[in-house]
Amino acid sequence: MERGYWIKSKPVYTSLVWHEKATSHLVLATGIGGMAVLKLFQQMHPRQPVTVLYARYAQMDADYSETLKKVVPENLHIFKFEEELLAELKQMLPAACMGLRLYVAGSEGFIWDVASAAKPFGVDDAEIMKELTDTLARSVYCVHCKAVTRNVTTNIVPCCGCERMLFVRDHFSRNLGAYMGLMVDAESPGELPAIEEIYP
Amino acid sequence: MNMIDVKVAAIKQVTPLIKHFTFVKEDGSELPPFSGGSHIVVALDADGRTYRNPYSLMGSPTQTDAYHISVRRQENSRGGSAFMHENVSVGMTLKITHPVNLFTLAKMAHKHILIAGGIGITPFMSQIEDLKRLGVEYELHYAFRSYAQAAFVDELKKACGSSLYCYGDSEGERLDIKGLLSRQPLGTHVYVCGPSPMVVSVIETARDLGWPEHSIHNEQFLSPPVGEPFKVQLAKSEIEVEVPAEMSMLEAIEAAGVKAEYLCRGGVCGRCELGVLEHDGGLEHHDHFLTESEKASCRKIMPCVSRSKGKRLLLDL
Repeated sequence: MERGYWIKSKPVYTSLVWHEKATSHLVLATGIGGMAVLKLFQQMHPRQPVTVLYARYAQMDADYSETLKKVVPENLHIFKFEEELLAELKQMLPAACMGLRLYVAGSEGFIWDVASAAKPFGVDDAEIMKELTDTLARSVYCVHCKAVTRNVTTNIVPCCGCERMLFVRDHFSRNLGAYMGLMVDAESPGELPAIEEIYP
Repeated sequence: MNMIDVKVAAIKQVTPLIKHFTFVKEDGSELPPFSGGSHIVVALDADGRTYRNPYSLMGSPTQTDAYHISVRRQENSRGGSAFMHENVSVGMTLKITHPVNLFTLAKMAHKHILIAGGIGITPFMSQIEDLKRLGVEYELHYAFRSYAQAAFVDELKKACGSSLYCYGDSEGERLDIKGLLSRQPLGTHVYVCGPSPMVVSVIETARDLGWPEHSIHNEQFLSPPVGEPFKVQLAKSEIEVEVPAEMSMLEAIEAAGVKAEYLCRGGVCGRCELGVLEHDGGLEHHDHFLTESEKASCRKIMPCVSRSKGKRLLLDL
């Protein structure tokens, strides 16, 4: 890839750090994201109430729930699946007040599922602290048939909707939580560059 | 700057200290459209100099046949508000700028909390019209010294109904800022306009509670502070300008015939920013625009409100 190549919409993820100024904290994590939560609890514990929602089974099948039970003093909710966690989040947000700080750790798909769950409540994704764990796998939006192919680890992928071979760009949609995918062999059908795993 | 000629169509004494002015175009045509929270700058020729003061437009943005402003007579007026109160009469022609909005409503917000102190109510008078038209949830919290001195309470009651909350200091009614900001649903934005301690208190309380920076809005026009007279050199114009104690640097530069950019003239918008080429210390930054590190670097200055105590100040103008 060309040096210095950078598309502005490509999200930047950080490590989770407690906000000093807050009314309450809500931490959401899946799978290996549990490690990010454990690291968060190594930092000085905030004065304000903290709630942690953790889903055990993400793509990497890593389970930190036993350790979290020992470390998180209260308000820890453990779920088997990400969908259950998101359903609980949607239950909690209507009663939440300004000053709630959101933290999310997990795969990129999970991070943006949380962002789209919070968006209808007026929460801008920029307000959510995000740590990418688990995998670099991308969701890819096909600009031809509009289908989203999830868990893409390669530079080129067949679209799950129309089966076109899509080149995965860095161009990211916060709204869709997905990268743009463009047909790679439109001009010379069947002529494909090497397919390589670059988002393990 | 492209000015508009307006005629003073009506003047109403609203309270002992506040006058409401209505401006129309002399030919009766429409004035430029504006959005809630906009202000205009009124140019006043008085005592051989030109005052240019910013005032919020408080009429409905849907009605552009007239502009409405309210002016509170400032206790230590440099002359602008006193001139508006004493010398401006019905039928007079004044020059105003096109409306500019530095205090816009966040259209994505789910709820709006508007907090006004005293004459700081004016920008909200046009914003509530926008909010009502959009049908968005809002609350207007209006704090003032006493009901006798408070402007527009009856109009606001009519316009806002149960969304209006009044606090008369003389009645012992206090706005509990922390309590108010602690119980707002996600997606709320807060707006404050009023005396400096109130604005600072709202901003700091919201920040401490963990409100994101982009959900906190304020408008606080500063009047240029009176200071010691000083001299400023303009590099491109190759002249030296004397800034008297009661004149701002921007006003002195304009009086010397040098064209300078400006919008708000109150230390908010940043348009009048000038580069500082040389100085010997003593820059007095009064604006809300430059960051602390920019102020410390002394490479820029806002001539609308800032001054100098040094002997030498060379500006890139």
